[in-house]
Amino acid sequence: MKKILFVFVVASLLLTACGGGAKPAAQQGPVEITFTMWGAPEELAVWQAVVDDFHKANPNITVKVDVSDWDSYWTKLNTLIAGNTPPDVFAMDAPLFLDWQSRGALLNLQPYIDANPGFLDGFYPQTLTAYKTADGYYGLPRDFQTIVLFYNKDMFNAAGVDYPTADWTYDDLLAAAKKLTLDTNKDGKIDQYGFWSDTWDMELLWSEVIWAYGGDIISADHTKTLIGEDGARDAWAYIDSLYKEGVMPTPTTSGEFGSDLFQSGKAAMTTIGHWAVPGYVQSGIKFDVAPMPKGPAGRATSVNSAGFVISKGSKHPDAAFEFVKFALSEAGQKRLAELGFAIPVLKSVAESDAYLKQPGNLNQRVFLDSVAFAHMKPVFKGYEEWASIVGDGLIPVFDGEAELNATLDEVIAAADEVLAKNK
Amino acid sequence: MDYGLKPLGREKLWLWLMLTPTLVGLVFGTVGSLLATLGLSLFDWDLINPPHWAGVENYVQLFENKDYIEAFVNTLKFSALYVPGVVILSLLVAILLNRKIRGVSFFRTVYFLPTVTSAVATALVWNMIYGKETGILNFVLERLGFAPVCWLCTDNAMMSVVIVNIWGAIGEGMIIFLAGLTAIPRDYYEAAMLDGANELQQFFSVTLPLITPSIFFQTLISAINAFQAYDYIYMLTRRGQGDSSVPVAVYSIYRNAFHFFRMGDASAQAIQLALLVAVFMAIMFWWERHYVVYE
Repeated sequence: MKKILFVFVVASLLLTACGGGAKPAAQQGPVEITFTMWGAPEELAVWQAVVDDFHKANPNITVKVDVSDWDSYWTKLNTLIAGNTPPDVFAMDAPLFLDWQSRGALLNLQPYIDANPGFLDGFYPQTLTAYKTADGYYGLPRDFQTIVLFYNKDMFNAAGVDYPTADWTYDDLLAAAKKLTLDTNKDGKIDQYGFWSDTWDMELLWSEVIWAYGGDIISADHTKTLIGEDGARDAWAYIDSLYKEGVMPTPTTSGEFGSDLFQSGKAAMTTIGHWAVPGYVQSGIKFDVAPMPKGPAGRATSVNSAGFVISKGSKHPDAAFEFVKFALSEAGQKRLAELGFAIPVLKSVAESDAYLKQPGNLNQRVFLDSVAFAHMKPVFKGYEEWASIVGDGLIPVFDGEAELNATLDEVIAAADEVLAKNK
Repeated sequence: MDYGLKPLGREKLWLWLMLTPTLVGLVFGTVGSLLATLGLSLFDWDLINPPHWAGVENYVQLFENKDYIEAFVNTLKFSALYVPGVVILSLLVAILLNRKIRGVSFFRTVYFLPTVTSAVATALVWNMIYGKETGILNFVLERLGFAPVCWLCTDNAMMSVVIVNIWGAIGEGMIIFLAGLTAIPRDYYEAAMLDGANELQQFFSVTLPLITPSIFFQTLISAINAFQAYDYIYMLTRRGQGDSSVPVAVYSIYRNAFHFFRMGDASAQAIQLALLVAVFMAIMFWWERHYVVYE
């Protein structure tokens, strides 16, 4: 018995030694807030500049920035929130917004917005809707993305194919992709693909094609998955034809050619957002952008934003909002435009040289003009599980192991079950 | 079992003092998290809002959850292929490397290498081997006149990950079996030879009975590893949105807990998996009493 007692005494001593950290009391004067986000290491430098500018304007508030890669970011966030030590401000991906908001993790920003009349006036209105709920905004967009068609000029020149134009249809895309799919060294294996895009997430290709074929993703009340209705079926058949015609490598084999085939110079075209531009410029390929092709029901692209949210458990919500306000001001947005990863949410900054004159000499207007025919990437509860059921569930079809329509029926049934669970 | 030195006087104090760090870790880390998991499995909890009492509901739902049943069946299939594979192959390798051949320590090192190499790094190499368009395996197959195979596509993924997992585990099994083999006294073989036993007879009548403790141990360890297999599977079969072409039980537990915010479901799955391992171990220990020969 004595031995056991001894063990517990030592154990409790050890525990108190570990657990006796500083307990920050809510205090007047200087405060430190934390800002957690996902991103590439090079983004940290620009964010540090934003934070430094902010600190100069608000000497009482210090912001600690923490950047993780996409996968570990969400795991880390869960752990921090479950451990009751949430970051004050954190980055949010619009489609996941409701999953977090509905769990009560986020602070309602409406009182702060009301206290700052005119604050949201300069924003692209399409970027705001994602964060709006019945009782106000629980987050604000930081920057946004439209998806456009990227093409490799050298490959088009070499094959003698005309550059994509604003009149292109999806059939034109397939026809050009066929001409650009080449076996350059005649070993019976394709060395250059005409087109490449990821189809596991709706944002890069399949949502745009579905909209352009007159279909839709999900019903307005978020109870029914619509990707199997008439227009959408044709869209899926079109996407499947890109794989079956061999102009694009299958999902399971594409990784063999690099994580981004356009960047590694293995594909002549891709559909992606502005976040890819810095990497493409750096890799030295000669490229430009064109709007998404038209489908039978017209032209469509997807608009999605990354945003700021403030934890409900934040000890310094006022300071946190000051920081968000600064990052969304013209000064903050100009800094972020320098990053070149996204489009500023402030129209005045997007229309200025800070955004329009960027490395790569691209037709930057294409990204802005796409807003006119953009649909918002859907935001609904249970998004992550739903997206996995649909996006991952169709991989066997594109790998050539399963039949499209039957698999689509299965996937839609499972996806609707997720929606029912998340009512 | 009662051998070794008994601690005397003040030594006892030091004994406990030295054991304390491990015991604290064990009590709070292992036992603590086991109890916490058991508790959580009776609640619905999304990590943020206060947990709701759910009783055995989470366990009942396991039997209706198609994804979990698929994951569970995959785990069983995986184990059924993996455990015999590891035990038989690592025993074979150990027997080959228990001979007086030139450079034996070189070969032993080579077979042990996968054990000490990061699973993530080797999985990347295996990705290149298995690649459909550019993979080495298909290159060889095509030279031999066969059609290329999509090794990591859904139809073949299970077989492909079992092979990688077995490959990664042979080294450890080999060490266990080598230890067992070298402990067999030479005289037994000499006696067997005098009686006219050939090599095969020697193996079945001398070697095999005397290494049953190693076989028992290796089977147990392999089974536990099989039920918890995750790293190679994650690296080789993960799909874009986080699903897998070979979702196993641990995969399902991780996703439910940290991606879908269903700690209760995840805990119930973890407890069920632990129970399965416990039942398997009980069978193994019964088997040990009847078939394992200790000298």
